[in-house]
Parts: sequence; C-alpha cells; structure tokens
Amino acid sequence: MVSLAITACSARSERSAGSSPGRSQQEPALSGDGRLLAVITEKLGRPTVQLRDLASGRLLPLPQLNRHQPHSSPSLSWNGRFLALITQRGQRRFAVINDRLTGRLHHLPLPGHRVPIRLSLAPDGRQLALQVADRGQWRIELFDLSRVLEPDRAAADRQTTSRTESAP
Amino acid sequence: MKTAAIALSVLLIGCRGPQPRPMPDLNGLLRQASNSHRDPSLGERWLASLSRKAGRETVELIDLRNRRPVSLPGLNRADAQPIDVSVSADGQRLAVIEQRDGRTELLLYRRSVGTVQRLLLDPPGVPRAVSLDGSGRLLAVQVSRDGRWQVDLIRLP
Repeated sequence: MVSLAITACSARSERSAGSSPGRSQQEPALSGDGRLLAVITEKLGRPTVQLRDLASGRLLPLPQLNRHQPHSSPSLSWNGRFLALITQRGQRRFAVINDRLTGRLHHLPLPGHRVPIRLSLAPDGRQLALQVADRGQWRIELFDLSRVLEPDRAAADRQTTSRTESAP
Repeated sequence: MKTAAIALSVLLIGCRGPQPRPMPDLNGLLRQASNSHRDPSLGERWLASLSRKAGRETVELIDLRNRRPVSLPGLNRADAQPIDVSVSADGQRLAVIEQRDGRTELLLYRRSVGTVQRLLLDPPGVPRAVSLDGSGRLLAVQVSRDGRWQVDLIRLP
C-alpha cells in the first residue's frame, strides 16, 4: 500500500499510509507531533474530513463532524486533540473546533459579512488564524482561544492535556 | 419586569461561556501591512502566509511576539508565484509550493541557513497544498496525478 521513493536531496516520500486507492484526498493537515493526518475526502459525494493514525493506518472516528458538509481546511493541534475546520450550514460557512477528548464542538462567531475561507490552528491550540473574504479582499484575522481551549502541547512541556489517540 | 429582563440577559450571557477573542493589535497590523493575506499557517509564535503588496504575492513570516515580519533571503524570487505555505512550530522551516517557468514545485526553506531545497515528487505530479508537522521533518503534500488528488508523505532529514 505504501510506495517508497527517493526524492531530491535525500528526502524520502511515501503515499499516505492506509489511503484508499482511487479516492481523492485533498487539503492535508498533520498534527504537530506528526502522528495524525487529516484530509478532505469524498463521502457519499460530499467533501468530508477524515482523520488517520499514520502509524497504524487506522481511521479515527469524528462523530461530531458527520454533518454540515462540505468540510474544508482542516488543521490539527500538537497531539491532535483539537481539529479545526470550516463547515457549512445552508448557505453559511462556519469555522468550528472539535475537541476530540471531550467531544465538544466550538463554534467561532464571525460578523455577518465575513466568510471563512481557510484556517490554521496554532500547535498548542491557543490561537487560530482565519482567512476571511471581507468586501472582496482576503484578510487573515487572529483569534485568542486561551479562554476557550486547554493547551495541547508537546509531551515535553505538556501540563494539562492527556493523549487523545483513540478519543472519543 | 425590568429586573426580570436584566436577570434573563445576565443568564443568557453567562450560558454562552468563554468566546474566542479577536486580537485587534495583530489584526490591525496585518491589515496595514498589505492589500491581502491568504493561506495562513501558524507555528508556536509564527504566522506564515501569502501576502500581496503592489500587485505581487510573496511568502511572509511574522514573529507574533514582536509583531514584525522576518527576512527570508533567497525565498521570494521575483519570477515565482507562491501557491501555498506551511511553517514548522519553531518557525525555522517553511514548506512552499510555487509556480515558476511554467512548473509547479515543492520547496523546503531552512531559515537557519537561508537555503531553498527543491523536493522532487515520485512519481511526478503537480503539488497543490502542503502541511509540515511541528518538527518540520515530516511533510504532507496534496499532489495531482492522472487527474486525481493524492496525498504524499515526505520525511525530511
């Protein structure tokens, strides 16, 4: 399943482990620790986020994200506890953050005329950068999430977060 | 009646819980710095993005602590059009997809040495989107091959 090849300057490449041949995969996002990969893939014809443990190739469940497709622009925190992405309800697009440890889905409120396009979650989950379309311009707006999310830090300096490999 | 309305308002506000807070100083800086910013990628204290100034788009890296863009010598060639960017957690490595001379290439930029390394895709394909892990030593790239989007993983020394 995994094809290996040597690339320029000793870089080593492989196809995403456990990926389904023939199924389109877009917008990859790695967790900070490199253990998890989120992609957007087609599910019943709808762009849907998929989360995979790279070591085992196993798909991880995302029960809070079974709806509100199309999904786009996934982004993961360091250990993958938090998965941020853009969803859609009716004609409106929303930025949401799924806490895989608690199962909560946090919505990011935006003033009416801004449309979220892409996002990036900081490795520790304490900030979010959101690209919005605002009156014909692309802008990036930064949000402080320190009152909303617990930090999701690397093992060496982690204080409050436990591993979320199989949660929930 | 008025007291009841105030009490209800307080209760409703209390139920909303903590909310994400816009960061007006940084957002103001981003607004002033260029006409447009897109494709954000956050590191621990770094924001990489594609910034458009005077009609030209370049890769920009901002140190969020001192709120200043960082110099990226050798990266933004005048004849290149960047397509996507991703930054490692420590801001030392940038993965960039750019178009130049009709080719779309995947690059790794190391700030410490100021070098640009072209990463070959095997089998060949056209890269579109990229993500680095926190260490900057694992890269996931969306590649078009035979009319289909695939994701390759590339381990970097």
